[in-house]
Amino acid sequence: MKEALEAALREVLGPGEVVALKRLPGGASKEAWAVDYRTGEVLHPLFLRRAGGGAIYRGTLSLAEEFRLLQVARAHGVKVPEPLGYLPDLGGREAFLMRRLSGEAIGARVVRRPELARAREVLPRAMAEELAKIHALPPLEVPFLRPSTLPPWRAALEEAYRDLDALGEPHPALEWGLRWLLYHPPGELPPVVVHGDFRIGNLLVDGEGLVAVLDWEFAHLGDPREDLAWPLVRAWRFGEDGKRLGGVGEVGPFLERYNALTGRGITEGELFWWEVLGNVRWGLGALKQARRHLRGEERSVELAVLGRLAAEMEYEVLYLLETHG
Amino acid sequence: MDRPSLEELLEAVGEFLEKELLPGLADPRLRFQTLVALNALGIARRELGLGEALEAEDRKELGALLGREAPLEELLGALAARIREGQAPPGTLAFLKAHVARKLRVASPKHLERYP
Repeated sequence: MKEALEAALREVLGPGEVVALKRLPGGASKEAWAVDYRTGEVLHPLFLRRAGGGAIYRGTLSLAEEFRLLQVARAHGVKVPEPLGYLPDLGGREAFLMRRLSGEAIGARVVRRPELARAREVLPRAMAEELAKIHALPPLEVPFLRPSTLPPWRAALEEAYRDLDALGEPHPALEWGLRWLLYHPPGELPPVVVHGDFRIGNLLVDGEGLVAVLDWEFAHLGDPREDLAWPLVRAWRFGEDGKRLGGVGEVGPFLERYNALTGRGITEGELFWWEVLGNVRWGLGALKQARRHLRGEERSVELAVLGRLAAEMEYEVLYLLETHG
Repeated sequence: MDRPSLEELLEAVGEFLEKELLPGLADPRLRFQTLVALNALGIARRELGLGEALEAEDRKELGALLGREAPLEELLGALAARIREGQAPPGTLAFLKAHVARKLRVASPKHLERYP
């Protein structure tokens, strides 16, 4: 792969040499590599995304689309790593290159490391600011994000039922959650560009605050409240359960800042439906990941264990509905 | 079977991973995967100890809720279908919480401590 990468990098950054190439942990469906490229005296820290075994969810973006979306987001001032080049065939798979920024993205560290305390203070407002910019991206500039024929909430439930039926195993707790969601539909809002996986763990953070929004493969046109409620899902608090917003802060200041910037008047109460949906979806996501292992699409003990950990999300769905539903 | 028993074999593999393999691993990806493997072994060992009793509780409670006896998987499927049709019997939520809590006692016992 080193030679193919050097050939591609020559086009983008000029002649040079790949001096380091390292596969990074995580990223089951798409590989992640840290690349250092030297051109003369300059060392370029780069980040390579490359197609892996297959997509997790239906409707994820191709790497070409994700690359294009990053370009559009960057042009509109969203904090993202600078996209450098799309590589249609890198060792037989598509890939793209970004500049590698420094910071911490591992959720358990972002919510706990003492040196990130200051960042956690500013994160709720910073997260709101990035979401406000993302939700204002012009859909015409990303025509591959197509609206669903159903209202977003309804489309999400249809997809969840499809996923549940494809498991081949009964999950009455998820049925309970879906039944509640179906009978308490949210009011509709005009569709916007939704990031689709906006949470701690996908946000690069340094001592000062938010550096960049990562992992855009789940972007679609949808309901802005989907993005606002996703970082509330308990799994994304990484054990800091008292801080409802991603284990870093409170929902109030986050939502207040978002509403001030967008002119929307979204209430915390409105996010509840989407928080329940988020838990159902991540429960299903975990069960689907386990099936990729079980079907032999990607053998991995990490994916296998997710099949058992889905019960954590089931418990949360029941808890939310028992306490607040 | 001869000793080591199933439990003792799993314990031996766990000890090897944790005490011999893990300390020598520098690659963060392999370290993480090894920790996940240890977690998987922990799940298997807890299921070995608790699984049968927990499944019996599930079957008893769910049998009472649905008013019939059948293998657990079949009863869970029947309950799932009733919920989807809007015909969940009274007591369903209480059963579901107990059922999922039992799954968590095997899969992730510490998770239950996160709730009041």
